[in-house]
Amino acid sequence: MVGIGAGVDQPRALVAQSGEEFLRPRDAGEVSVLGFDPGRETKRLKDRIGVCLQATNLPERITVREALRLFASLYSKTVDADALLERLMLVDKRDAPYGKLSGGQKQRLALALALINDPQMLFLDEPSAGLDPQARLEIHSLMQELRREQRTVLLTTHYIEEAEKLCDRVAIVDEGRIVAMGTPEEIRSRTLGQARVEVRCERPLGAADPPRWADADPAQISDDRMTIVVGTRKPARTLVDLVRWIDQLGVELADVHLRHPSLEDVFIELTGKSLRE
Amino acid sequence: MKAYLALTQNELRLAFRDKQVLFFNYAFPLIFFFLLSAMLHAERGGSVVAAIVTNVLVIGILGNGFFGAGIRAVQEREQNILRRFKVAPISPLPILGASLTTGLLLFVPAILLTIGLARLLYGMPIPDRPVSLLIFLAIGALAFRSIGLIIAAVSNSTAESNVLVQLLYMPMMFLSGAAIPAAMLPRWTQTVSQFMPAAYLVSGMQGILTQHESLFANWKSAGALVVTLCLAIFVAMRLFRWEKDEKLQGSAKLWVAGVMVPFLALGVYQFRTNEQTVKNRTLWRQMQRGDAFLIRNARIFVGDGRVLENGSVLVRKGRIEGVYEGDNAQLSTLKVDIVEASGKTVMPGLIDVHVHLGAPGGMFAEAKDFATEKIAERGLAQYLYSGVTTVKSTGDTLDGSLALRQRVAIGDLLGAELFVSGPLFTTEGGHGTEYFSWLEGPAKAAAVEQFVRTPANPDQAREQVRQLKTAGVDAIKAVLESGRTGMLFARMDLAMFRAVVQEANGQHLPASVHTGNARDVEDAVDAGAASVEHGSFSDPIPDAVFARMAKTGIAYDPTLSVLEAIRDLSAGRPDLLRRSLVQQAVSQKLLKGTAELLKDPKTANADRAAGLDGAIRIAQDNLRRAWKTGVPLVTGSDAGNMLVFHGPTVHRELQLWVEAGIPPAVALQAATLNAARLLRADARIGVVAAGHDANLLVVDGDPTRDISATERISTVVLKGERVRRVDLFDASKNPLQ
Repeated sequence: MVGIGAGVDQPRALVAQSGEEFLRPRDAGEVSVLGFDPGRETKRLKDRIGVCLQATNLPERITVREALRLFASLYSKTVDADALLERLMLVDKRDAPYGKLSGGQKQRLALALALINDPQMLFLDEPSAGLDPQARLEIHSLMQELRREQRTVLLTTHYIEEAEKLCDRVAIVDEGRIVAMGTPEEIRSRTLGQARVEVRCERPLGAADPPRWADADPAQISDDRMTIVVGTRKPARTLVDLVRWIDQLGVELADVHLRHPSLEDVFIELTGKSLRE
Repeated sequence: MKAYLALTQNELRLAFRDKQVLFFNYAFPLIFFFLLSAMLHAERGGSVVAAIVTNVLVIGILGNGFFGAGIRAVQEREQNILRRFKVAPISPLPILGASLTTGLLLFVPAILLTIGLARLLYGMPIPDRPVSLLIFLAIGALAFRSIGLIIAAVSNSTAESNVLVQLLYMPMMFLSGAAIPAAMLPRWTQTVSQFMPAAYLVSGMQGILTQHESLFANWKSAGALVVTLCLAIFVAMRLFRWEKDEKLQGSAKLWVAGVMVPFLALGVYQFRTNEQTVKNRTLWRQMQRGDAFLIRNARIFVGDGRVLENGSVLVRKGRIEGVYEGDNAQLSTLKVDIVEASGKTVMPGLIDVHVHLGAPGGMFAEAKDFATEKIAERGLAQYLYSGVTTVKSTGDTLDGSLALRQRVAIGDLLGAELFVSGPLFTTEGGHGTEYFSWLEGPAKAAAVEQFVRTPANPDQAREQVRQLKTAGVDAIKAVLESGRTGMLFARMDLAMFRAVVQEANGQHLPASVHTGNARDVEDAVDAGAASVEHGSFSDPIPDAVFARMAKTGIAYDPTLSVLEAIRDLSAGRPDLLRRSLVQQAVSQKLLKGTAELLKDPKTANADRAAGLDGAIRIAQDNLRRAWKTGVPLVTGSDAGNMLVFHGPTVHRELQLWVEAGIPPAVALQAATLNAARLLRADARIGVVAAGHDANLLVVDGDPTRDISATERISTVVLKGERVRRVDLFDASKNPLQ
């Protein structure tokens, strides 16, 4: 799952399924990132981008400030480290050794390092993976800030709500191929996905098959004959039809759900896989 | 550059926070320092301290390179630390460079610490070539660091790099002289170690520290290390991997072999030239000679006529540091090894001023055993075994003798110190030329060139003396004799003879003159010879001639032993073979071959034996009168002749003198101080005095009362080394031979 901020047309060559392999050799064609060819002008490109990979580490005994200073020395242009520490809420921890930081702090430091060169473009590979909800929220608000600063952020994530919440454009990648790309709304609407009405009854419905309602898919009844699901383009009408039919059977309702299609549904539909796989 | 500096600064800072790094860089070498110091008695001072410093620093360099770079770099990759750098605009070069620099900088305090401790605790002198030493150490540290980086480059995991490191570290540690002196190891390991970079590190450092060599003198070692460094950086760049998931093909590990190529080349070179083995032996010798010990409660025969009935001799760093009379309480506080010598006599090492190293002194059954070089090496070892620490060769091949002298001097060969006369001055058909009469053509010319000089006129004679001086001889030997009935020789023209002696005197080379009768002696004295060899076996030398010798200080070397030997040979008497010291020092092969020769009826000649009895009486009488007249006497054995074995014969010579009526103390002085004077080396050898070379013979009993006591050898010291006499002839026990 790739979330894309503003402005990138063809991220295909830059990312792989997991996002781990950055700057992989292209199979064919032309690639341009910030006007640089990643294959030939690698170093100049690296100087202008910020990257936050999964599962990277720093030496145990390096302090937060030392790490920032060290990485600052690698770039031609840098931002003020103290301001960066402030922004990432690491001021208190600036003299703490890396080994003593919590997971969230480590992740924030990784983001700080990715931002040290004031990059125009950021590659963030699952920046919130494994973090507690609070830490994740902090990361989310940072990314929203980055977006407001007009930076291009290429975010790889397994959290569907993260992509929906943070990204202007989304691409779904399956086994190295982009299977869908666009704004979250575009993707949702472009699929076969539609609203689903789900009703649970208090007792089994008996052997009768439900009728075929207008503007709706054939209804599906669960094996215990207590739940019935109907896909529909007109949820209000289908719901009325469905409830009326159940009422006619003399069965009482236990629960009623109306669900709109999410990116998750789209994903499952496109890839045949559950998201967490 | 900015990145390199920042990375270096960072790595250095992190290293100082890491207890493990501190331990391996500073504590670990210190443990070795104190361990080795205790084991090798560093408190006695000497070059052993420098050897310890070398070992400790080399162990430090090995650890710094193999563990500091080899394993650490793999860990950084495994822990995904390098992965973070992968996405930054940085190439592997500054990372590798920072690791190299950090290794070097971490090592510098260890150098200062080790040298400082050695100086503070054990009085090691400040290295007199500090720049060479530091550059060499830096090259070594960087080269091993780079080898570590290669290991990191080719290992796919920490476990794998551990295996590789152990595979290289262990042999380098234990076979190359880093932990155990190379010369102590069996020969095959010495051969193997010639292919190990660490071996060159050890020998180069020790050369600079103890032999006062410059970096340039060690250019081959330093060069090989630099080439390794460059190759290793190149390979480490090519094979650099940022992530643990990037696996390397097995074949890529062959790159490691590529880095070893300089040492493969150097090893092959060394294998052919033996340079490294020689250097190892030399360094080992140096270490043995650096020992400190006190011989106490001994009778001291000083050499100059004085005898201290109870005294002590302190030996340190190859010299006699002090001679103390009576009990000296202060001596017990010295941090030296004690040699208890109650009832023993310490005397200067004996000197034999007349030997021929090219001949063994007996007969081998097989012709192949007559190998000049082997015979000469064995001869020098036999001398040392017998307590004879100095010999003068009076007629041997020029180049062979000079090479041998050098080998002994540097400690490559353990044997008596050698003074060289080189070729004999004689005349066509004179004594000395008869040995080549059976040769022909170029072989003869070559042998003659090495063995004799037969000048055509006085000018040529002078020129030849000067050439020998240039070649580096210590003395000149001339032959003046016309032989006897049945063995006549052409006698050297007197004008030519005088030219030889005078030119020798002008070149400050003592001229020893082989004489046959009283007339020859007189002519030698007239010409101003430094010594008369043999004197006369056929007629009395007039007292007037002896008086002139006494007045001008011309030494008299009666060589009674060779006369006795010829007599015994003619009589078929095996007594000389049965002497204990001969049995100990001479090889069984030679003893057996010589015994068979004695049994051969063709050898026996009763008439001749009877005639030689008369000659012995004449020679004894000449000696007695020479002594009474005050002629400086010296001992020469003429070893190399039949039954005149190298080494033990000097003792026999002393006994023959005493039998002839010479007091033992006079004979002993002839074999020590007087002989040293003839060699112009009495400022250094020949007496037991502070500042002199520690060449000592310790015997049981009192040879000034019983001359045979000199054969009851307790200890032989050569240049401060207590010689392991039993190992001198046993190649398996003595890897140095």
